[in-house]
Amino acid sequence: MISLSTYLLTIIVTSMIMNLALALYGIFFKPHLTKKIIALTILGDTANTFAIIVGYRRWISPHSPSRPPVLVDYANINQEDLVNFVNTAVDPLPQALVLTAIVIGLAVTLFLVFLALQIYRLYGTLDVREIKRLRG
Amino acid sequence: MRHILGLIIVLLFIIGFSLVLIVAGNYILPSHEIGMLAKYYLYLAYNPWQRNFTVMSPEAVTSIVWDFRGLDTVFETAVFYLAIIGSIALGRGIVKYIKPEEEELGLSLIVKTVTRISAVMIIAVAASIALHGHLTPGGGFQGGATAAVAPLLIIVIFSHYYLLEKGVTKDLMLFLRSLGLTGIAIVAIIVYLIALPQGIHAYVLQNQPKPDSSIGLPAYINGQLISGTLWFFNLFEFFAVMAGFTIVFLLITIPERAFRKEEEGEKQ
Repeated sequence: MISLSTYLLTIIVTSMIMNLALALYGIFFKPHLTKKIIALTILGDTANTFAIIVGYRRWISPHSPSRPPVLVDYANINQEDLVNFVNTAVDPLPQALVLTAIVIGLAVTLFLVFLALQIYRLYGTLDVREIKRLRG
Repeated sequence: MRHILGLIIVLLFIIGFSLVLIVAGNYILPSHEIGMLAKYYLYLAYNPWQRNFTVMSPEAVTSIVWDFRGLDTVFETAVFYLAIIGSIALGRGIVKYIKPEEEELGLSLIVKTVTRISAVMIIAVAASIALHGHLTPGGGFQGGATAAVAPLLIIVIFSHYYLLEKGVTKDLMLFLRSLGLTGIAIVAIIVYLIALPQGIHAYVLQNQPKPDSSIGLPAYINGQLISGTLWFFNLFEFFAVMAGFTIVFLLITIPERAFRKEEEGEKQ
């Protein structure tokens, strides 16, 4: 028996793997540096989405959704609420890793863009095949 | 030869991903249960009945980022720091730029007025995201990245020189970023420094009391939840991230004209 939600989740995962393959293709085989950087950001975002999907908790029924890992009413909390929270919230660990990875990825992308800009200023091209031929 | 190599890489890729797809059905698809470790994190994020283990932050993500796995985040901050340092090293030498003589720089008056209003709002929202990081989704990283949008908008709409004339220079931002990083370093060892004169032992990156170390920062100050070190970490990370991104935006938008002049000067 194949449930509809499993099928839809499989479509998401398969399309993300395709996305990953396309990003790797772009990084390896596209000669233009800007396109390589764009492919690299797609690769990073796909990896982050994978991490989030791994940490997601499926809904038990359409009427009992899983919750974000944030206690809303923390001032009047009792033990029962806390156990209920633990049993319905999604995994916070991948989210914590992705949170920092996004900002670090942005910083690294900015560095690469600046590097490409300087290469263009010095050599007048961003094509790696031409940059390879340059000397001095 | 190169075509064969490419073919082998593609083949290995397909074989490897077929393997991943087999596993995907069992592990990558989310299930109704989460891991045991995640449950401990959720259980101990805000738990007044387990005072020796909890972080006292209702936001489980922030409590992982700055307490349970604080050392990871310190290293990630180091990576961020190095990426910014790399950009500054690439941009060295191109510092002299003369403002052009034309009177009006930037876009039209309507766009400028809208930007004047929205830039203030962006900074306010960013500060709110960063300072409520221990209560609601958000934190220093997200707040800093949001706040860095304001100088970027101002650079695009008012021009690079407007920001420099207002005093937002590379040196000021370097100072702010160093201040943020120093703050993170101090907060990381502050519990240790407090415990040292009292003869109690404590850990680096300690926040709340632990079973064998009875000291920690207060979770509540004057009835307001600050979750010990988390609030300070978020504040300093906010400054470090915002200033770091602003430095790179300032360097990346140095007008081409200024660079050309520098290059001609070198040739002569």
